[in-house]
Amino acid sequence: MRTILRKLHLPIISLLLFQTITSKAQQVVVDSSLLDRINALEKQTNYIKPGDDHFMMVGLTTFGFVSNKTTMTLGDSSSIIKTHSLGDASHYEFSPMFLWRHGKKLLLEFEPSFSNGGLGVNWAAISYFATPGLIIRGGYLVLPFGTYNKRLAAGWINKFASDPEGIASATDYGIEAEGGFQAGTMKWNYDLALSNGIQLQHDGTLQNVGITDNNKNRTFTGRIGWLPLANSSLELGASLMTGKVGDAGSQNENIKATLYALDLNYVENIKPFQLNIKGQYGITDVDNTSYMNPVDSSQYTFNNHTTTGYIMASIRPAFVDNGIKNFELAARFGNYTSPAKSLWGTKDNSLAFALDYWLNWRTVLKFTYEAIKGTNTTDVKLGGTPGLVTQSNSFYLQFSVQL
Amino acid sequence: MKFLSNKQSNVLMLILAFIGLNAILLNSCTASEKITSKSGAQLWGENCQRCHNTPSPATFSPEKWETVGMHMQSRALLTETEKEKIVEFLKQ
Repeated sequence: MRTILRKLHLPIISLLLFQTITSKAQQVVVDSSLLDRINALEKQTNYIKPGDDHFMMVGLTTFGFVSNKTTMTLGDSSSIIKTHSLGDASHYEFSPMFLWRHGKKLLLEFEPSFSNGGLGVNWAAISYFATPGLIIRGGYLVLPFGTYNKRLAAGWINKFASDPEGIASATDYGIEAEGGFQAGTMKWNYDLALSNGIQLQHDGTLQNVGITDNNKNRTFTGRIGWLPLANSSLELGASLMTGKVGDAGSQNENIKATLYALDLNYVENIKPFQLNIKGQYGITDVDNTSYMNPVDSSQYTFNNHTTTGYIMASIRPAFVDNGIKNFELAARFGNYTSPAKSLWGTKDNSLAFALDYWLNWRTVLKFTYEAIKGTNTTDVKLGGTPGLVTQSNSFYLQFSVQL
Repeated sequence: MKFLSNKQSNVLMLILAFIGLNAILLNSCTASEKITSKSGAQLWGENCQRCHNTPSPATFSPEKWETVGMHMQSRALLTETEKEKIVEFLKQ
């Protein structure tokens, strides 16, 4: 036993000596001012003085090819129109977004946009981050009605090359208050806006972008979101938009429009897949009034009630270790029913399928096929062709990137 | 027999809904341990993917993440804690 200990004596001493040296060396590093300096620099980097500002530009572009075949059938007769286009007003977009942060409280956001429809502004607003759970904004706002326009419409986010039919964006001048807060394991969020208001057109439609203030009444728009699950995978939302929409001094001065929407967003990782389900359903009601018939200038009326909705699902093997993880399959069903006996009466159903290839987290190549079948529900007296069935089949190849 | 007009019924429903909402909130007004212990990485994974793919932290500089974080807090209506933890994670 003693012999063994004697034999181990030297290695043990060597080990202890080595440990002492290395711990001394570590001590030297710890005691040096290097770490202090690093800490000071870190604090300096992270500390933002109230007056410090930061300007950056991000944005997105979407470009592609669309091939369309539209068949119009009325009774026994039908006609076919075929088009091929490298982008059009709905499927080409170049939108740089300017973000200008002033300290930690103010953020200016401005997004001009060029599409085949011309040059426009998506939004331009200044936000004040007042307290946790309260952001106050003023300017040209995307109104908080549903979630599609504010969160999901960007080309690099949308799984499809096209937007769901009838989900029109609503942008207006106004003020907004919004925020999110935790309540136990659930979360709630709210988004309330007061704006000049949507505007009733001569055919009963509502203009909701680039509006000129046409009366003294303001439009209220609000959405409440609820995330009942602790992992935030499910969000349910309810929206309301209401206000007078007629021109001041006109016969429609007191005509009011009320819009409701419900939205759903569910994203779950069921490894190796990521499942995505989203949907939105909206109703638009405008008070009854009379409009001028463009054919004979007589007065006519109709029940100004519109419904629109979509539901989509996508699946992506995001958690596999090979190139398959970059592919995503998606399907979407949509419905748009505008008022019968109106100039724009139609009942449309759409079905779209997409195969996406993600080049990275914000760059996507999309192959989309979409079929829309619409039945005209206008009135002969208005020069319409009720019963006309329009079958539109489109194939898109679209590239979209966020920069 | 109708006791309330349609308008009064609607107002009553709104009041009841408001009371119900407050009851739920008061019942669970504090974040649980399960929530407060979440890391920035976990919150990044849970919240960003609600709308789009999770961004790579290597995409922007720390200063830019600070700005993007404010933009995204407003878009996704993140809580203040979520925003701060996610931005801290992305800045590393």
